[in-house]
Amino acid sequence: MPDTRVFDLIVEHTREVVPELEGHRFAPSDSLRDLGANSIDRAEIIVMTLESLSVSIPLVELADAKNMGELADLIHDKSAV
Amino acid sequence: MTSLRSEGRDVVVTGLGVTTAVGQGKDAFVAALLEGRHAFGSMQRPGRLPPAPSTDATAAFLGAEMEEPSLPGSIAARSVRTASLSARAALATLHEAWHEAGLDEADPFRIGLVVGGSNVQQRELTLLHARHADRPEFLRPTYGMGFMDSDLCGFCTEQFPIRGFAHTLGGASASGLLAVLQAVRAVQSGEVDVCIALGALMDLSYWECLAFRAMGAMGSARWADDPAAACRPFDRGHDGFVFGEACAAVVVERADGRRHPAPYARFRGGGRALDGTRNPHPSVEGEVAVVQAALREAGLSASAIDYVNPHGTGSPTGDAVELQALARCGLDHARINATKSITGHGLTAAGALEIVATLLQMREGKLHPTRNLVDPLDETFPWVREKAEDCAVRTAVSLSMGFGGVSAAICLEKC
Repeated sequence: MPDTRVFDLIVEHTREVVPELEGHRFAPSDSLRDLGANSIDRAEIIVMTLESLSVSIPLVELADAKNMGELADLIHDKSAV
Repeated sequence: MTSLRSEGRDVVVTGLGVTTAVGQGKDAFVAALLEGRHAFGSMQRPGRLPPAPSTDATAAFLGAEMEEPSLPGSIAARSVRTASLSARAALATLHEAWHEAGLDEADPFRIGLVVGGSNVQQRELTLLHARHADRPEFLRPTYGMGFMDSDLCGFCTEQFPIRGFAHTLGGASASGLLAVLQAVRAVQSGEVDVCIALGALMDLSYWECLAFRAMGAMGSARWADDPAAACRPFDRGHDGFVFGEACAAVVVERADGRRHPAPYARFRGGGRALDGTRNPHPSVEGEVAVVQAALREAGLSASAIDYVNPHGTGSPTGDAVELQALARCGLDHARINATKSITGHGLTAAGALEIVATLLQMREGKLHPTRNLVDPLDETFPWVREKAEDCAVRTAVSLSMGFGGVSAAICLEKC
């Protein structure tokens, strides 16, 4: 992936919301759900990421992402950052 | 009339927790009380400073603000991130009471929780609304849970195994005492064996401070240059209440349940009454009614009461009405001080905080001084004034009143 900025932001906010993952080495194939983030945590991480990017995307349009990499790609594509 | 006590439903207090601006934890709190050490000043929390431009009418609000509540390591950082100050204070306070009462040994399904207070997170809501006013699309999803006071119940029951019931109970400044009475009734009824009453920290924003000042409830224009002198319950120089951040927890349980080595006190009686008004004004009739109800349930005469912990906010009307009510009930012989002269008015926390203060004084065999009581409204009451005094208190009555015509009283007896 040429631009890791979105993925890095997702990681940063995931560490904030789920501090237990402080030492975890994140990979695009990681699933937030499998890492222990519940549905509210996941929504929180996404909104924090969108705010960091100053882009507004309805959460429903990001619901199909299977893992953090797909989520980063979706946000990237929909926001044209 | 059948007495619940005679059916073996005696209720005792087995644990206390307290977080205030003058000390966190019972040891620090009781030391501050007995020394009469205050923490009043110009309040500085973000969201509580008057909006600019500052004029006389919006000069900084006087009050007492607590240090960051010290949370035990057992509470996950993940939970704390989105916990309001009210929730953090609740967790720290409950932790102290929980461990003193040894509740890890109790059946979680037989433990209840009553959180006294409503609209307790106003300052944090004000900050959040301001932060997102021009970018509402980024409002955090957790706001959907966090704006409700019942979120405190969620935090507490997530961190402590309480599985009986948990809910909030709003009764303005009587909330804390009403929560304790509700907890007692839940144990007496047999619904649970143990119940925790928590007087929640009411986190005022500048909006509530402005309104309290505008309605004449909150001091203190008169003492603006001397914050230490502003809070003066029952003194002729009083001009309204002075806010003090606080949170307090009281664990009550069946006396015939788990063996507890040293309960603080036995519940003897309680009373609640209404004046039928939405106004802030108290009434002698309402206050007399609740004290008499508490004494009646206790089966005690007024002369048997050693100590009164009054509501005593520093409100000119409230202080005068309360002394009239106490005199009419025949309680003008009992030793009396004013906890709010040291802590400030904890609003929703006050009733629970003052029960904690009452029980700690009982255990110490000492009564704390009343700060700023230079010229008492009524000299005939046996006030504890400049210095703490030794006093063996066996029986005590505490009162709380709230806007909307709420009066409440409780009678406790040392075990």
